[in-house]
Amino acid sequence: MSRIEQLSPDPKSHIKTLMRIGYNMSSAVADILDNSIAADSKKIEIYSPPGLEDPLISILDDGYGMDAEELIENMRIGCKDPSIEREKGDLGRFGSGMKTASFSQARRLTVISKKTDEPIVAAIWDIDKIEETNSWCLEILDEHEISLIPGIKIDATTKQGTQLIWGSLTCLQKGSHALDQDTELASLLSALNIYIALHFHRFMEGRNKCVFSLNNQLIKPIDPFMTKADGYQEGRSEKLRCKGGYIVIQTHVLPHFNRMNTKDMERLGGASGITQNQGLYIYRGNRLINAGGWLGLAKNSQLGALARVQIDVPPSIDNEWSTDVKKSSLQLPPRVKKELRKFLSDPIKRSKRIHSYRGTVDTANKFWKVCEDENNGIITYQFDPENKNLISLISSSDKELGARIIQYLKELSINLPINHIYQKMSESPKEIDQQSIDIEMIDAILSKAMEEYEKTNKDIE
Amino acid sequence: MDIDQISDCIKVAACICARDGLISQAEEEMMFKLVLEKIPKYQLEQFNHVIDEFFDSTDQIEDYLRKITTLELRKFTLYLSEVSASIDGLDVRENIALQKAYLIWGEHSS
Repeated sequence: MSRIEQLSPDPKSHIKTLMRIGYNMSSAVADILDNSIAADSKKIEIYSPPGLEDPLISILDDGYGMDAEELIENMRIGCKDPSIEREKGDLGRFGSGMKTASFSQARRLTVISKKTDEPIVAAIWDIDKIEETNSWCLEILDEHEISLIPGIKIDATTKQGTQLIWGSLTCLQKGSHALDQDTELASLLSALNIYIALHFHRFMEGRNKCVFSLNNQLIKPIDPFMTKADGYQEGRSEKLRCKGGYIVIQTHVLPHFNRMNTKDMERLGGASGITQNQGLYIYRGNRLINAGGWLGLAKNSQLGALARVQIDVPPSIDNEWSTDVKKSSLQLPPRVKKELRKFLSDPIKRSKRIHSYRGTVDTANKFWKVCEDENNGIITYQFDPENKNLISLISSSDKELGARIIQYLKELSINLPINHIYQKMSESPKEIDQQSIDIEMIDAILSKAMEEYEKTNKDIE
Repeated sequence: MDIDQISDCIKVAACICARDGLISQAEEEMMFKLVLEKIPKYQLEQFNHVIDEFFDSTDQIEDYLRKITTLELRKFTLYLSEVSASIDGLDVRENIALQKAYLIWGEHSS
């Protein structure tokens, strides 16, 4: 007869698995911020002072806070059943986010919390201790120990809130040949700033807004659709009723690069970032989960660079969308895919139209001709041989000079730096300005070259 | 036809339209429009409440069909379901659910 053997995971090995769940620093902090938002925080401060021998990252919110019992329960890994429906505004899912996100970035997680009219409570998960004792030994601090926590910001005057402190950071590659700790941390924090500004942008505006700051600097929201910019186009929208609310689909087309504010453009990753991040923007309970990419429904293209489809999904249908522990990926249910396909052509078509319209202005000039050979699928850019000025110039030249001018123009066309132009148009289109060509400088260089040419010819004679 | 009775009709139609867990905006709007034609005083809030109840329930189509007993209601339910589900193209799964309703109620409803 078979028997049941209880095999709990070995803590020492299990913790190593949890440390490698695939977060990066930004997505790990974002997971912590989900908890702060679920606790109805109105102010979230991320703080990581430079110059410390043992750097730390602190996340402080003014949310509900926890009492001792709640804190211990929330420190448990997998403290909530993912199949239980979460309350509205609760962005959690598996009850593991805070721990797994923290363990992926730091070996020491300290949580300090205070509920209104309750004492301050604090607990520590220390991976070194877990490995040393090979047990899930949570350290609960007493009042005196709490006051000695490095970087603590919660004290008796705090009404309510929770502070997380990551110590012994593993996200910094100590001993690598790369950068020094402070520079590396600064670069991670800079990426974090943009990540939060984009993924939590909806929480930063409106009546119930939450103020986010990073090292005392306010994080300003990034609107991925540039809805307030000149030239923005709002497209079709549709609502799909589902369990727990609606899935709302809304299409957007960004303004053409030339109409974008340089700063806004840079915050969205420049022209190449905007092109790369075309596609679906999926929000789960107002929090951006997926920033761009067509998830197999369409292909990225230069002409579709400005197309965006916003999808709002209530957290109540996590199961159908297969949200993962990190809440950073999900799979579209077949019906939603079907509905989305109806929508995709609209923003992509309009994005193409914006590009093509601007394209015709550029190409239909009297000096250059664009030849599209549809049979062979070849496009060439060449000087326009029917240009009246050119015809007049060649007609007034002798036969030999005319032939040399034509030969020169042929070579000019063949050697047009197409790849360079393409690259620069993608990366920094605003910097390209042909009207700024310094004609006087060209005249001066030509005059000098001609003088030298004539002088050399005379010397030879 | 009273408001309680119409709730069951809406739930059958919702069940047929939402075979894959979702009801499209067009289906929902058509459903409400047809209900309004039948009961002009019916409110959108009442309709939304019925749809929420449907999503929160674990009842199957058979359970909803069983609650509707009169021929007039059955005819209206099938009409409501068929027109609403077809508004954005009758999906294979929606069609199977609709055929099931026809089969369970038999020719009495046709």
